[in-house]
Parts: sequence; C-alpha cells; structure tokens
Amino acid sequence: MSDERFDLTVSTTCGYCGVGCRLEAHARGGKIASISPALDGPANEGHTCLKGRFAHQFSRSRERLTAPLIREGSGFRLASWEEATNRIVAELTRIKAAHGPDAIAGLASSRATNEDCYAMARLIRAAIGTNNLDNCSRVCHSPTSFALRRSFGLSGATGSFTDFDYADAAILIGANPTEGHPVVGARIKQATLRGLRLVTIDPRRIELADYGVLHLSPRPGTNAAVMLGLTHVVRRDGLIDRAFIDERTEGYEALEELLEAYAPDAVEEITGIPAADLEAAAHIYAEAENACISWGLGVTEHKYGSEVVQLICNLALMTGKVGRVGSALLPLRGQNNVQGSSDMGALPDTYTAYRRVDDEEVAQSFERAWGVPLSRNKGFTIPQMFDAAVDGRLKAMWIFGEDVAQTDPNTAHVVHALESLEFLVCQDIFETETTRYADVILPASAFLEKAGTFTNAERRFQLVAPAIDPPGSAKTDFEILTMMSRALGHDMGWASPAECMDEIAALTPEYAGVSHERIGRRGLQWPVAADGTDSPVLYEREFSLPGGRGRFAALPYKAPGDSADDEFPIILITGRRLQHYNAGTMTRRTNNLELFGEDWLEIHPDDAERLWIKSGDKVSVRSRVGRIETVARVTDRIEPGHVFTAFHFPEVRTNLLIGSSADVNTSCPEYKVVAVDVRPVPEMAARTPALATH
Amino acid sequence: MSKNLVELVRRTHAVRAPTALEVLKAAIDDHGEITDDDRRAASAASGLPEAAVYGVSTFYDDLLVARGERHVRVCTGTACFAATGDAHVDELRDALGLALGQRRADGSLSLGETVCLGFCHSSPAVRDGDVVDAGADVIERVLAGATRAAPEPDWVSALPRPVLTEPGDWSGLERALAEHTPESLLEEVRAATVRGRGGAGFPAGDKWGFARASPGAQKFIVANGDEGDPGSYIDKYLMERNPALVLEGMALAGYAVGADHGFVLCRSEYPLSKPSLEAAVDEARAAGLLGEDIRGSGFSFDITILEGAGSYVVGEETALLACVEGLRGTVSARPPFPAQSGLYGLPTVVNNTETLANIPFVAREGAQAYRDLSPGATPGSKLVCFNERFARPGVYEVRFGTPIRELCDELAGGMRDGHQLRAMQIGGPLAGILPGSLIDTRFDLDDLVAVGCMVGHGGIVAFDERTDMRALARHLLHFGTSESCGKCFPCRIGLRRAYEMFSGPEPVDRTRLEELLEALELGSLCAHGGGMPAPIRSLLTHFADELGLRA
Amino acid sequence: MKVTIDGHDVEVEAGATVLEAVRAAGGWVPTLCFDERQAPFGACRVCLVGAAGARGPIPACTTPCRDGLEIDTADERARRVAKAVVELVLSELPVPPAPHTELATVARSLGVEDVRWPGATHRVDHDERHPYLAFQHELCISCGRCVRACDEVQGAFALTATGRGFTANVTAGLDAGFRDSTCVSCGACADTCPTDAITEITLL
Repeated sequence: MSDERFDLTVSTTCGYCGVGCRLEAHARGGKIASISPALDGPANEGHTCLKGRFAHQFSRSRERLTAPLIREGSGFRLASWEEATNRIVAELTRIKAAHGPDAIAGLASSRATNEDCYAMARLIRAAIGTNNLDNCSRVCHSPTSFALRRSFGLSGATGSFTDFDYADAAILIGANPTEGHPVVGARIKQATLRGLRLVTIDPRRIELADYGVLHLSPRPGTNAAVMLGLTHVVRRDGLIDRAFIDERTEGYEALEELLEAYAPDAVEEITGIPAADLEAAAHIYAEAENACISWGLGVTEHKYGSEVVQLICNLALMTGKVGRVGSALLPLRGQNNVQGSSDMGALPDTYTAYRRVDDEEVAQSFERAWGVPLSRNKGFTIPQMFDAAVDGRLKAMWIFGEDVAQTDPNTAHVVHALESLEFLVCQDIFETETTRYADVILPASAFLEKAGTFTNAERRFQLVAPAIDPPGSAKTDFEILTMMSRALGHDMGWASPAECMDEIAALTPEYAGVSHERIGRRGLQWPVAADGTDSPVLYEREFSLPGGRGRFAALPYKAPGDSADDEFPIILITGRRLQHYNAGTMTRRTNNLELFGEDWLEIHPDDAERLWIKSGDKVSVRSRVGRIETVARVTDRIEPGHVFTAFHFPEVRTNLLIGSSADVNTSCPEYKVVAVDVRPVPEMAARTPALATH
Repeated sequence: MSKNLVELVRRTHAVRAPTALEVLKAAIDDHGEITDDDRRAASAASGLPEAAVYGVSTFYDDLLVARGERHVRVCTGTACFAATGDAHVDELRDALGLALGQRRADGSLSLGETVCLGFCHSSPAVRDGDVVDAGADVIERVLAGATRAAPEPDWVSALPRPVLTEPGDWSGLERALAEHTPESLLEEVRAATVRGRGGAGFPAGDKWGFARASPGAQKFIVANGDEGDPGSYIDKYLMERNPALVLEGMALAGYAVGADHGFVLCRSEYPLSKPSLEAAVDEARAAGLLGEDIRGSGFSFDITILEGAGSYVVGEETALLACVEGLRGTVSARPPFPAQSGLYGLPTVVNNTETLANIPFVAREGAQAYRDLSPGATPGSKLVCFNERFARPGVYEVRFGTPIRELCDELAGGMRDGHQLRAMQIGGPLAGILPGSLIDTRFDLDDLVAVGCMVGHGGIVAFDERTDMRALARHLLHFGTSESCGKCFPCRIGLRRAYEMFSGPEPVDRTRLEELLEALELGSLCAHGGGMPAPIRSLLTHFADELGLRA
Repeated sequence: MKVTIDGHDVEVEAGATVLEAVRAAGGWVPTLCFDERQAPFGACRVCLVGAAGARGPIPACTTPCRDGLEIDTADERARRVAKAVVELVLSELPVPPAPHTELATVARSLGVEDVRWPGATHRVDHDERHPYLAFQHELCISCGRCVRACDEVQGAFALTATGRGFTANVTAGLDAGFRDSTCVSCGACADTCPTDAITEITLL
C-alpha cells in the first residue's frame, strides 16, 4: 500500500474507545499526516469514526509534555530524566521505609497497552510490594466484570460485534453507541435496516431508538426492575428454554420465587414503563431465534449496577441465548484497553486473568517468575485510595494516564485527597486537572508512538505499532515503567513489549497462546490455547464456573443511591458526545473542538417552561455536593424530570456534582442518578417574567 | 439510490404517508418555488433523510424552475421540432424577453420548457398554467394572453371490431373472477403472448409469472403512464379517454400475480390524466369493481394514482419505481428485476398502460381471439399516432404487420400541403430513423428491427424536406443529454460529448463518433444511453452527407 | 457453483457476482464505482468483461454468477469500451486527478493517456468549511460511493446525488456543507472517493 505522499504507513489499533478499530497510520516528516481505516479490521471492517480517523493532531500539540517536570513552589520546572528518576526513587523508598509499602498506590492507565499495564502491575507489586493498584474500569465497567464472573465465569463479552449481524433481535440498554462507540453504533443501525428488531432501553430517546422497533424509557436507577419485569414476562408466557435451564444452569428456582413480585403492572409503578411495552419487549427478545444484549455505563454506573448485569445474564440464561453466534452478551467497554488493563491484573485483588492475589498457587507462580515475595492482601480500590489519602494511610500515588480530578466523582473529595498526599507522580501526555497536584510529572507516549497490544471489548488482543516517536524527550510508557522499576531495584528484564507479552502468556493459562507474532492482523480473542486457537464464542458447551453451569441471581430491585426531592427535584444523567472522548484530553486538542466546542444541558420543554429556561440560557446545576454552570438546550428526546450533559470540558467540571453513591460490590460511582436543582443564571439583562394575569 | 433509502421510505409508506416528491410538488404548486423549509417538511413527512430530499428537489423538471404567477412552458419535443425547427421556441423567448427557466424579477411571469405535451397532432404546443394550447398560431395567442385548450382529434380504430378504443366496461375482470383461477388467467395471458407495448416487447405473461413465483405476501402492480416519448400521445389518449380499460388491466394483473394494490404513475405533462384516472377509480370503487372482495370473489384490489414530475428516464421501470417511492428517478442495475424486488423491495409487475389495456380482451375473449387480431404478426392490436406533418394526425388502432406506407397514406393521409416525406422516427427518440425509401416495411417488431428501427411505443414522427438532418441529430442528442439521469458514466458524459460534436461549427469526426456510439451501446446502464445511438446510426446510414462529417 | 475466469475454474458461493469470482480467481478487472464495503452500484461501466454466449460485454460487479459461466476479462470490446469510458471521465474534470487516486491508477492500468474530448468540464467549486473534510466538487465523477458509504456503512445519510445528467454532482445536507448536515465526520466518504473530490483538508 505504498503511497508517495507518505514516508511510512503503519498498521495499528485505535487508542480511543473499546471498539478497537484497526487503522493505517500514515506518517510524513515525523508527524501523522493522515489515518485511514484498515479494510480487514475485525471490529471495523474498513470503517472508523471521527476520533480514530481525524483526531490525531493532539499527538503533536504544542502542549505535549516533552520533558520531566518537578514541582517548584506552586509551579513546575524542567528536569532531566535522571533527576526525575532519582527523586521518585528517593521519595518512594523513604515513604516505604517509614510507612510500609501499603502507603503507596498506583493507578494504571486503561488507555495504555497490556504490556504497559502489566509492567505497572509488576512495578507496584514487585518493586514496591503492595497490591494497591487499580484502573479506571473501576468507574465504568467493574460491575460488568464482577457480574459476568459471577454468572458465567469470565470477565468479558461472550461473543463479538459481528454477532449483531447474525441476530434477529437485540436489546440495547444504558448505552448510546452512535455517540460512544460509533462504529458499533453504525453496525447496529445497518443491522436494523436489514431487519434486526432492536429494543432500546434508556431514559433518553437515543438515535438508535428511531431505527428500533420499541423504545422503553425507565426512570433513572430502575434498571433492575426493568430486567426483572422482562424475565417475569418471559417465564409467565412460557418463553423459557427449559432444556437449557435444566442442563446448563443452576439457581433458577430461587429466581422464580423472586419474579412473582415483578409483574408488568408492578414494574410500571417503579419504572414508568407501560406494561404493554414491557411485555412486547420481552416477546421480541425471547421469540427471536438469536438475540443479543448489549449495555453500557447506563447500566453499570449505578448503585446496583453489578446486580443489574447479573439480571441481564439471567435473561440470557433463561432463554438459552448465550454460547452461540448471534446470541451474545456484549458490554460496550469504554476505553481502548479497559478490558486489557483489567485482564493484565492492574487491579487490587487479582493478577492476570482475574486470579486472586490470595490464591496461593497463583501467587507463588508470580513469586517464582518475579523473584520476590508478594503480598496476599487485597489492595485499595480507587475510592479507597482517595479516602486513605485523606485520612493519612496513603502517602504516595503513581497516577499513570488518568485525570481523576476531572473524571472521578465528587471532585472536591478527589482534590482534597491529592492535596493530602506527600508525593504524587503523574505519568501523562498533557498537563491535566490532576497533574496540578503532582510532585513529579513524567512525559509519556500516545498510542501512535508505542508498541504493544490493546484488548478490545470483544476480548480481542490487537497489535499497536508506532508511526512516530514520542515528542521531545518524552519516552514510551513501557520504557518509563521498566526504567523506573530497574531504578527501584527490580529489573524486569524485557528487551521489548513482545517479550513482556511472552511472560504474560507463560504465566497465564488463559492467554497461553498469545504472542505478538500470532496476533497478526486478525487479533486473538482470549482464552487462547497454547497452540494459538482463540475463542470467538464463549460458553458453547459449558460456563467457566465450578460444575460448568451458569448461575442465576435472585436479586430484588432496590432504589438508587440518590433520588429527587423538594430541594433537588430533577435527576441528572451524565454521558458522552460523539466528537469528544472522556476528559477531552486528546480531542480538545484537535479540530474536533471546532465541531463541538461547548457542551450543553439537555432539558425537556415542560421543565424548561416551568423554570423559565430557553435554549441558549446559562443555567446553574446544583447537587448535594457541588455546583456547576452550563448552557441549556431544550429537547423532547429526554423525559420531563431528567437532564443530561457530558463531562468532556474541564471548564464545566460536571463531575463536581457526583456524590459518593457507588455500586455495592465494586464501588463504581453512580454517575447516572444525581439529584439536582436547575435554574437560570441571571447574568445578562434580567428576563423579567410577565406578571401572571390568569 | 441506496437500499437503505428505500427501506426508510418503506417504513413510512407502511403508515400511508406522502412521498417526499409529493410534498415537494405540492409546495411548488402552492408557492411557485421550493424552499429549504419545504424540503425539511418533505423529509419529516416521508421518512426520507433531508439530504436525499435535496437530491430529489434538484432532479425533476417540475421542481427546478421558479414559477411566476403565470407559468408558461413551451414544448421542445420532436414533433414540435419537426413542425417549426424550434423556431417557435426562439420566437417565444425573444418576445417574452426571458430565457428558458427564467422568472421575471417581479414574479409575474416565468418561462420553462417541457417535453412533450402530447399535442403532436397540432404542433407546436405551449402549456400556459395547466391549459395546453397548440397550432400554427399558438405563439401569437400566448403572447396575446388568449390561450385556449386546443382541440384533440378523436381516435380511430382500423380494426373490424375496435378493441383499445372501445370504452372499458370491466367485463373482462368479471369474467376472469367467475371463470379463471389466478393460475389459469396467467396461462391465458402467457398463451396470448402479450408483448410489452412500452418498447422492450417483453412478454407480459412471463413477467407476471416471475412476480407470481417470487416469495412474499405483498406484491404490487405498477402501470407505467410516464413514458414520455416526444411524438407519442398514445398513453395520454388511453389515460384520458379510456382509463377504465387500463385500470381493469391492472386489476386482472393483480388477480393473476397475487397483488392487492396497484399504482399508476402518469405524466405531469398531461395535466388531465391524473383527474381522469382518479375519476375512473372512484367510479369503479362505487360499482364494487375495485376495493375489498370484488364481486364476492375474495379478491381485493385497489389503485392509487400518482403523478410524475418531469423526467423522461422515469419511464424506465426501475427509475419509475424510484419515482413512485418519491426518490430521484435514477436507474438501478438489474438483476434484481422488479418482479423479484421492485417497489419498496417487494415483487412488482411494471407494465406500460397500453400493455395493460390489452389484457381485458384476453380475459374476456381468450388467447386465440387475441392472436387473431393481427394474423401472421405479433398478437393483439397496436395504437399508433402521427405528428402534425400528416394530413390526418391522431391516434389509430392498427394491426401489426400492416405496411407502414398504408398507415401513413391511407390512415394518416400522407404529408400535408404537398410536403415530401423524407424520413420518420417510429417508436420514440431512441429508435432508428426510417428513410422514406423504406416506407414499405411492415409495421411489426422484427421487421423494423431488421432495418435498424423499432415499434417502440408506436409514435410516428415524420420529417419533411424542410428538416435539416444535422439539426435533427443535434435535437435528438440535446434531448438525450438533458434527460440522462446522470448515474452511468457512458450516458452522462458520452451523450454530452455527442451533443457537443453536433453543436459546434466543426465537422463531426466520424471515427470518434463511432467509438462513442459503441461505448454508449455496449456500456450504458439502460436503454436511454444504450438506445441513443440508434437514430444517429440511421442518420449515418441514410443521410451521411447531410451531417457535416469528417472521416 | 463453478465458473471459469480466463480459462481457470473457480468455485463460488450462490449469489456471488462475476467480480467476486474474478477476484477469487486472482484476476483483475478495473472498477471505479465499486467498493467492497458497499453493495454493487453499476454506474461506471468500467468493469465490463466478456461472457461466452452473451450479446455484448457484461458488467462484472452487478452480474450474478451462474453455473458454467465463462468469463474473459481481457475481452477486446469490453476493454475498448472501458477505456473509452475512462477517457470520457477524465474529460469532464477541469484538472487531471492526482496520481495516487484510484481514477488515475485505473487510467494508467488501462493505458488511457490522451484525453481527446475538448468539451465542457465541471465548474470549479471548493467547500472547505469543515475542519477535516474538503469537497472539490469539480473532481466529482458521480460514482455515488460517498453517498453509499454514508448510507450503507455509517448510516448518517448526510450526502446526496444532486442535479441530473452532465451536471450531476454530490452535496451534503441541503447543499449547506458537511457541518450543517447530519454528517458525523467519520470520513468514510473521503476514504472511498476515487478522485479525491472529497478528501482530508490536511492532504490538499
């Protein structure tokens, strides 16, 4: 594919979202000239979105960190790598000696490669000696991971995106893929135009609702009741797969008892969904020969998100719609490598492939490989890290590729925690809201500048290759982490990310056959056997639980952590916009900003009228923990009593509003249900309301 | 264009919404032009995305010219050209001081062109609002503001017993419902060998058989009343003088094929056709001959009348279906054929109105009687029409196999006012041109093909000694290039280049012309680009030294 | 079923097109309006091949295979017409297409060197209102690939063919540019455009 306009073309994998588009990156003069989609990309098949395709200018933004920075007073000064390394080693050694290794914590980047994350895990566990390590899946799909392991055994989608092409029906709940996972959104849309019967479940009327056959609009926080209602109807109307239940599952009886209470009328009371619609949705799913269920953060970022995912699994188990092509459960993982970072064990309680840190056999295999004793104690999760920082148990953090001060809930608490630390290292590509509090900032590499692998939402390992070098004296993250580990006294001994992957494969039976060479252009979906056979479809014959049976979960509906009241009468839902990616660190430094430069608050006409708000007005949004200002836009795609905005712009700091309510099992924050008060901000000439004459 | 657009409008069609084209036509009829608000309204009503609606609004002639309070459209068809050499167009333009497609700044008057008004018997013709006037003095009357509806000659049947000119009385349908099963009716139509009358000559029975055999419960019958061959007004007469016969034919097709709904797409250039068909539908419904459970047979069939919007290519069957769906009238590759995947992706029979008008006779009198109408020739009878150059222009029902000399001299009275017949174009602008020397050729499908011509739709346009053959070539190519839908490359670009070759003062390079004609014939997506070489080849064969060629 | 391409037999699935069979056999047929990510369109007529028993050349991309079909990709008439069509296409552009474009590549492969048509060309009209996508309307050959990419791959329905005949072109939304349409800036149109009529602004 030689094209005289470019010096070099490299096949790589996109670093934005969990779809994992394969891209061809064309470089010229050491910069990215253009990116085009790879025709043979398994997830994207020659297509991509405006982020993967165009939003690459950030890689050469003038704001890129190009040299280490060390705090001086209230600002920073340039430093050499040697000085930065020495400072880090000195501080971490001091703190470890004075307070123990558990006074240090690491936060791995879910946007970094598998090799980077594994290197960080090894650094934290072996070089430092603690299990205080987490990644951002905590705040998005940790409930999915928890629930899938509970119900099926493995922490990943049960199939691939192509399952939508083979399905006759699908349920999409708590996700808006035409904005958050555009290539998957496009695939689903095309499938509906070919006849896929799509049921969308979301408080907002998302774009795909216009292409589906039925849209359900539940009150925020009532997803569990919706799922229980659907399963009730499936059972009531005889749509279960009795043979499947008998041969391949356990725990159905307990669920049956629970379902009595969730008849459509009762569910309508709780959720606001008309009973007839609920029944229709259940039939559409259950009567289809093959059907998929897909969900996003609208399911997980809730107090009982991990329970809702288990209830989703119930529906598939009852109808036998799992374990074959066209019938898959597909959680839409957000980050390009959030699946991988967790798979690699960048978690406080597991090594690679979710094997527990207190599992003797596993711990010993790593001790043998790494040559040091390892802790059997579960470490801090991210929320626990912040709490521990505030109360003094945690003294130091290494935050790698995360902007917690913008993306985590309860910003005020996060900032307090960061300020309380004695020592903070930030490894990132730009200065962020979080690096403000750092003591040392290390200039890292973007996805176009590094080698390694990402694992997408299909459990697919895919290769990442550099098209350009990191700018200035920035280094690849792999280099930084291995270098720092060596400086801390633990030499990992790898010459390249490929060698690192070889070690991962050697220590992880589920990834035994994975190597850079074998991954090639098609990727490998784990589990991968030693001979390289991979697993597009999970659970074809048995589930990965003792006894091989999938597990039903009998979990009743419980109210969300926050709810509207007189003081805060409206529910805020937060989400994403097509043109930007999460904190906007990368996309705000591209021309995507021109396409979408300022966000707004979506508000229903009835609420707008009641509150004297019209489109374009500045409004304040106040929750129990914070207040922000933004601009209103009136739309009827949202229900009365709800408002919606995204969190891409630091000037708006949406997450100031999010409190501490979080998933009961995984601590994933409840970003999706926040009670707020909305009112216009009178900054211009006052719009005096007309005197009421009626 | 794309399958997805068809799927999107199908979803809205299912709830009986108007098409985007219908909304746009209503808008320009209402306020003389199309605004972006009109386009948005069309999108919302029809389910067609806004960009696609924009594309529709730039495709059809009727939507392109902003209309003044008085909107005058002058006919630039072949019969009008044969009458005046287009002098009438220049005269009108100059007198009004407007270019074609222009509206006066004060909005009082606009001038457009149209092809063809179906008044070829009295060329030239002009449409003033919705009144069509024609005749040697028509321009005078237009300029004086004294336009009046021009009279049309009665049609005449040369058969011992008229068939197509006889008002339809639905007896064919009644007999078929009483005595035929759908399969046996289909067999009868097959046995009759009803060849399509639109130009392709494809046996209707075969087409119906394919549609019947296609899987699916919902099927459609679509009558092509939008075949706008300049010089032909046969469909106009059928739709306005004998609409019941056409509708009856459609119902019979529906019965045989298993369709319960039909559409007629009639030309917007014939403003009287749609009201005439609608009145006939209303009458038939009132008499229980259309609608649910016709004559207690269990067979239901109803018909919707739609109007085109000014595009010749919409006479091609896949473009026709796109127009019915309210999309741009572009041609689609076949296969799949409409009988498998047609209107809204469902099995559809598309037949010309004249073809359908043949069916009631077959149903009532049987296949043999139908074949006997033209013994020793293509079965059935044929309507032909003559242009103003003849002494007795009009529509005539004739037997296949009749020598063309007999048609021209005995029926149509030969050239008027002592003019000489030099050549005639039979069957439309994409048909070969028959020189006067070959006037003894029999009027039938194979006989005409053998001399590089065709029956086509049956319009006969004579050129007398005043016609400049190079100007004729230019006229035909101008028609060809302006009516090209623009989808396929040979036609879109090739016809333009061919027109340019004949437009300038330069001699025409014959070798290059031949290359171009070959590319058009072999490469075009449909019979528009594919057929355009035929008349040019005839001119090259018979009138080469008048074309200004260079070897 | 079995078809024969240039003398080589190849097995194809039911529903396969002649073009798919040619490619499966490792053969080559030039195309301009074809993109494997979209349904075949049949507009350019450059993919003509000879078929035993057929009256004339057939378009490979839209013709379904049938058992026993014999195809000659180098059929003289087919190649002559394809070459004539490509020459016509080049003649409607006011400037030649850039050498890396598919149109330029196809022209070179077919040996089209001189463009002997001096007539009308497209009006120059540049739209650079979008931060990433530039539309040079004069380079548009109305192959429809961008419209179909937008409809059949992305599903944004932001583009449309516009006009008729020689002046046919493509535009976004209500002819208001990409930004004021339903475009989601995915770039599928730029990826598929064979003449760089739509292309990335930074590559201009």
